[in-house]
Amino acid sequence: MSVLKCSGIRYAYDKKTSVLKEMNAAFETGKMYAILGPSGCGKTTLLSLLGGLDEPDSGEITLDGENINKNGLAHHRRCNIAFIFQSYNLIDYLTPAENVALISALPPLPLLEKVGLTPEEAKRNVLKLSGGQQQRVAIARALASEAPILLADEPTGNLDEDTAAEITAILKECAHQMKKCVIIVTHSNELAKQADVVFRLKKGELLQA
Amino acid sequence: MNFVRRAGFYILRKKGKTLSLFLLAAIVSTFLISCFSVLNAAGMLTAEIRKSIGAAFYIRANTSVNTDDNGRFSMEQNNIHITDEDIAKIMQCGDISYCNPINYGYAKGKEITFVPGEQDNPDNNMGQVTALRYSALHTDFSDGTISLSAGGHITGTSRAAIIISSEVAAENNLSVGDTVTLVSAGLGIDAGSYVDSWQGDRGESQVTIAGIYDILKEHASAAETATAGKQENRIYASLDVLDALRESEPSVYTGEVDFYVIDPAKLPKMLPKIHQIASIDWKTHFIRTNDFQYSKISDSILSFSNLVKVLLLCVAIVSAVILTLILALGIRSRIQETGIFLAVGISKREILLQFLFETLAITIAAFIFSCAICPVIQGSLKNHIFSDFQTELIVSAALENGKGASLERSGYFNLEAWKTFTIYGCQLLTVTVSVLLSAVPVLRLKPKEIFTKMS
Repeated sequence: MSVLKCSGIRYAYDKKTSVLKEMNAAFETGKMYAILGPSGCGKTTLLSLLGGLDEPDSGEITLDGENINKNGLAHHRRCNIAFIFQSYNLIDYLTPAENVALISALPPLPLLEKVGLTPEEAKRNVLKLSGGQQQRVAIARALASEAPILLADEPTGNLDEDTAAEITAILKECAHQMKKCVIIVTHSNELAKQADVVFRLKKGELLQA
Repeated sequence: MNFVRRAGFYILRKKGKTLSLFLLAAIVSTFLISCFSVLNAAGMLTAEIRKSIGAAFYIRANTSVNTDDNGRFSMEQNNIHITDEDIAKIMQCGDISYCNPINYGYAKGKEITFVPGEQDNPDNNMGQVTALRYSALHTDFSDGTISLSAGGHITGTSRAAIIISSEVAAENNLSVGDTVTLVSAGLGIDAGSYVDSWQGDRGESQVTIAGIYDILKEHASAAETATAGKQENRIYASLDVLDALRESEPSVYTGEVDFYVIDPAKLPKMLPKIHQIASIDWKTHFIRTNDFQYSKISDSILSFSNLVKVLLLCVAIVSAVILTLILALGIRSRIQETGIFLAVGISKREILLQFLFETLAITIAAFIFSCAICPVIQGSLKNHIFSDFQTELIVSAALENGKGASLERSGYFNLEAWKTFTIYGCQLLTVTVSVLLSAVPVLRLKPKEIFTKMS
């Protein structure tokens, strides 16, 4: 079991506006976490720090006891992290299968089938897929990386209720069956209800709900 | 998936962008190649025109002005005195292609009679002999006064050879290859009558008719001159003929000596060197130059060349700027794609390689396309520029048959392979630098900044 741990994290925009203050938290594989909070409270910033897109002003983020910056943040992103975005962020000149195969040698079709896409849909232009289908492709791409940690930023933000529920179910399956650590930043209470652990980010502090 | 496959998918599926870049690169390449072709053609044409025009200088003798005891003036035409040694020294002064020494004299014919002129009688029935090394280079032939109608020209290897007019040939029923005997003669005036002024033993020379000429331009005073002065009676002979007639010495030239220079632009630099040759008496000799109107057209040629160079520079700069701007815009518009690649763990180096590979592949395809269409454009340029251009080159063949070679026009626009590859190489370098410069600001952004821009 891997553990992603934040100890005493501080972060301020432009070194002035403090968004995270002495934040401490631990995220384990096999669980789905939801982070709730109002807009601008620092949810996405926290996700960026966990994913190695940015560095905290102070404090340390470790994975299994080792600083994530030990081999460089690019290495951390490549080996340990998979991102899922609200706007899917697929490469538009690649098919769903090719998007999944972008960095992985794993066959893409079983992964796409696992998230509910047919082989025909897997060969279509990604821009001709629905929002829900595009998000499934994004999840399949995240799974293909075999990274232990999945960071999802508003993964159901652009989807209708039914599709959002389906995506949530897939993410839950990723945590429980594939033993991934799924960390979701969201405004959705419905999604948060499905999480194993829910945090609220308030005034720079992460509090377990 | 490696960067080559990603680049391949981009090229195949982003058809609009690929086509735009392809067309831009093809247009720029074709434009540059065409401009360089014109520059190349202009350079080669200038050199060919200079060669075809050529230049000449003539060593001639001054006219002396004498005053007698009664204060009366008289003018006397001096003869030049140039030897083969002098000629050898002059030939070393520059890029001189031919030397044509000339001696003048008169001759009567044993078996031939000349076309009668004023006061013609058997005593003064004679023709003027112009003995020279290359008859084709003589002004009468080169300016179109006369033209060879049969046989060949007198060249440096000709011996006992003459060229006569078609009138004299017809009068005496002669043709090329016939042999006649010439006898020494001199033209004088005694009591207002033309007489043979030759004194002493006469020389004889058995000569072969090498060629027959037609008169194309009549001299205005032709009808009033003595038989020896008539144009029809002029004989062009090899140098040894007058030696045999005892009217000249071997290797000494007293008529004039003409020198032909390949490049008229080099003529002005040669003259001071020639004037330094001490064995020639420059008080009685002078040099007349003839650049065959090269100086009049050289400015136009130079202006044309400079115009093409300026045009080419403008095209190259504008093309490079447009190409760089379009590539920069293209790469800046791919910031989201860059972010996705970074997010999934693809390195910056791989992303840069993909951008470079795509651009270079499209550019190289455009080069191949431009290679295919450039000959068509070059052909059209050739027809447009050369349609009314006619010139002839003075080549060794022209000395034999009097006809210059026509200017070879087809090869001028064909750039040498190394020049074409250099142009393409420079374009590839420009494209590579443009891609690198355009990608650097994107790749230097922190991943967080890229994601902020993405959202």
